[in-house]
Amino acid sequence: MTDERQVGRVLGSEHSNTSAFRVVLDEHDFLQLDDLIVVRTQVPKAGEVRTYGVVTEAEAVYEGASYESDTHRIAELGIMPAAKVRTARIAVTRVDPEVWVSPDPGESVERAEGDERDKALYVDEMSRPLPVGIGRDELPVHVDLDFFDGRKGGHMSISGISGVATKTSFALFFLRMLTAHPQILGEGAANLRVLVFNVKGEDLLWLDKPNRLFDEQAAAGWASLGVEATPFPSVCFWAPPKRKSGDVLLPDTGGRHEGVEVFTWTPREFIDDDLMQFLLTDANDQRNQIPFVRERVQAQLKRFAVDVAGRPGAVVLRDPRDSQNGSWYGQQVNVAAGERIITDLQSLVDGIGEFLEPDDGTEPDFAWSGRVMGGTISAFMRRMHAGASRIGPLVRAGESHRIDRARASVSVVAIQSLHDQAQRFVVGALLNETFAEKEATGQRLPLSVIVLDELNKYAPREGHSPLKEMLTDIAQRGRSLGVLLVGAQQTASRVASEVLENAAIRVSGRLDAAEAERAEYGWMLPSTRARARLLKPGTMVVSQPAIPVPLVVTFPFPPWATRKEEVAADADGDPFAGL
Amino acid sequence: MARIFVEGWDPEYGTPLDQDEALAPAEGSVDPTVETDDWEPLEGMDDGVEHVAFVDGVRRVDARLTLDDPVAGPTPGLVGTFAVGATRWDRPARRSEITAVRIERWAVLAGGREEQMPPVALEPGVNTTTCASEDPGRLMMELHTKMRRAEGETATALAAECFVIADGPLNDLTAHPTVGYVKSHRVTYLEPDHNAVVAQLAPGQRTPLFCIADYKRYSWYVRLAMLDGGHSWTGTVRCETSGQLPKEDAVTIADRTAALLPLVASQPHVDPRAPQNLVPIGALEKELRHRMGDRGIVYRALREAVMEREAS
Repeated sequence: MTDERQVGRVLGSEHSNTSAFRVVLDEHDFLQLDDLIVVRTQVPKAGEVRTYGVVTEAEAVYEGASYESDTHRIAELGIMPAAKVRTARIAVTRVDPEVWVSPDPGESVERAEGDERDKALYVDEMSRPLPVGIGRDELPVHVDLDFFDGRKGGHMSISGISGVATKTSFALFFLRMLTAHPQILGEGAANLRVLVFNVKGEDLLWLDKPNRLFDEQAAAGWASLGVEATPFPSVCFWAPPKRKSGDVLLPDTGGRHEGVEVFTWTPREFIDDDLMQFLLTDANDQRNQIPFVRERVQAQLKRFAVDVAGRPGAVVLRDPRDSQNGSWYGQQVNVAAGERIITDLQSLVDGIGEFLEPDDGTEPDFAWSGRVMGGTISAFMRRMHAGASRIGPLVRAGESHRIDRARASVSVVAIQSLHDQAQRFVVGALLNETFAEKEATGQRLPLSVIVLDELNKYAPREGHSPLKEMLTDIAQRGRSLGVLLVGAQQTASRVASEVLENAAIRVSGRLDAAEAERAEYGWMLPSTRARARLLKPGTMVVSQPAIPVPLVVTFPFPPWATRKEEVAADADGDPFAGL
Repeated sequence: MARIFVEGWDPEYGTPLDQDEALAPAEGSVDPTVETDDWEPLEGMDDGVEHVAFVDGVRRVDARLTLDDPVAGPTPGLVGTFAVGATRWDRPARRSEITAVRIERWAVLAGGREEQMPPVALEPGVNTTTCASEDPGRLMMELHTKMRRAEGETATALAAECFVIADGPLNDLTAHPTVGYVKSHRVTYLEPDHNAVVAQLAPGQRTPLFCIADYKRYSWYVRLAMLDGGHSWTGTVRCETSGQLPKEDAVTIADRTAALLPLVASQPHVDPRAPQNLVPIGALEKELRHRMGDRGIVYRALREAVMEREAS
């Protein structure tokens, strides 16, 4: 058995060590990248030590050729004797037992199969191994869920250039694995809630529809991962209202309207949830005294806002000193003649303007302005007005249309049609809501997973914003509160380092050549970095704390549609839909 | 019994002898008419021989020895290693391989001494021999002779299946078609008229055969390549084969070498001894030197062997 598995021997002409060594291959066998191997070394006094490793590079050379032109003499003319030598570089994944010695030169190198493969990949030590991809040997590669769901670590960071559609695809593939293996996820599986932001295109609006391009090869991939290849069973889609949709709210999506819910906040919710902070998410919004004014105004709004009888969600602003007991809390009033009713963001901003920039040219109300300089107040109001026009439709009085994350296990929020500022507003508002809920209970369960692409926009490396602070907070404390961030970005170097550093599981698709050299990808081996420039869609590098080297895995084509054209015909009952 | 000591100084110290070149023919013993009277360059001809073996050997002095004889005073000796082998060129398959490698280590003691080198922990081990002369220079000669003999045996063994080209003049002059390949021209064999023909040779051409009667061999010159800026004899080598072969066989062999040798000639930028140092022989020498083992390790093993004997 040993002889059959042997693929070569540990190279003896250079030093082997505990992190890397090379293998000279037998004439009739080969090793390719990502293959797993094991070497048994007899260590004096310690007995047999097994060194497990993964192939990071394969090389070949004519031994005996000292000049480049010797290649012709050897291969073409045949007048020069030389031996073709093929070698493979190995990165050590594990030494078992933990006696940290290098493998002996000349020792037999075998393919790691069966139990040996599990040991090479630490599967035997993972308390909850979840398949996250397929290795070169067509078998699943696992991550330890303890390092995702907050027990030992949390969060996942996915990098990769856009256009190859790998980041979101992998994130969704991972979510499908997570939701399809409740027995592995354990107690966290119950009421697991996933919040996915669709920031580009409408790729994620078809998660519940079968993909007509799904083929047998893909099915085999899913089968090897132990998951039935079906679209997401429980998804709810949310989109902002169309700008001029009048009284009937229509979702602002292009390809799909059916089954898409509209979300908005009422002025009352906007005030109560302190959503104003997410209007000021640009880095230069944090300069001067603007945040100070915003805090004053927020506090004042809470005191002044009174519900209007017969107009759900709408408020009017009245001085609490005019109330009977000094507070409007829980009261409803009838609108006085000429009084401004706040039914949307514009009327709210106008209402604030009455206190900060009175029409009659008098001084602003110091209770609202906090005696800051006039320029600061103008700057603040300018931002409020800009926000009102960009975010406007998202705040309107009427029935509550908040996103109800309990409705399905996966909630997709389509913000691709919104202005950047409005996207940040929605993301901020929803993260705030999710995090606040968990902070209130203080419980890790049920788990809440947030999938957010273009993280560099929401948590940029430079500058400060409430959104960045929120994401940093989630990255740092979310693990213990069961709020898990699956963040994706083109360039990790532009994302706040606190957010990246807290991600226990790091994944990368194809990288820009210059980007791959940055320190943010220090978790990759040099050989992996070189490969990261060439990775094909569907191939990812996965690093996790349990395994000291990053692994390259593939993940199968999704059974759900990622474009309207991919939706299988019978899904809608329309036989011509695919044409 | 005198004790043997391994000396510390560089073992290659001393004059290397190349006795092969001392083959000056006696006056009038060269017969240039054995093939033709009409001396002019002849084109080589490749008769399609399939297997060609290039035989060569390398040697090295690993250590100098001194026998400490209380009566006779110190007696010199040396330990050397030689490696002999062949590059076998499979022409139809267009590949070459190194074969028939033979490595021996010898302790050579001067003055006909009977002492034996103690067992040395090396593979292969060290044999002991002696040479009658007290002259330290002869020690090296003894090792060289053993290597040349091994080369001859290798060539003879390979001659059964290959066309053999052996580096240096032939030792074994029995009637088989082995070719001796001599790179340098220290001895003048031909008359001035005939020497002019050597200068006229184009690559792939040879001179007519001439016979060196004293040494019972046929010989001829072959031009391997023209070198830029070279003198008229650059790129020529002298070949020889057994004088006991029928003349027709010798002609075939000579034609063959004129056609084949330029194919395996080396390039000046690769080998300073180009083009005479043939590619297969250059590669063979490199491999053989490698196979002799690390000199430092050999030297240490020798010292250890001598020390152990002292301790026991």
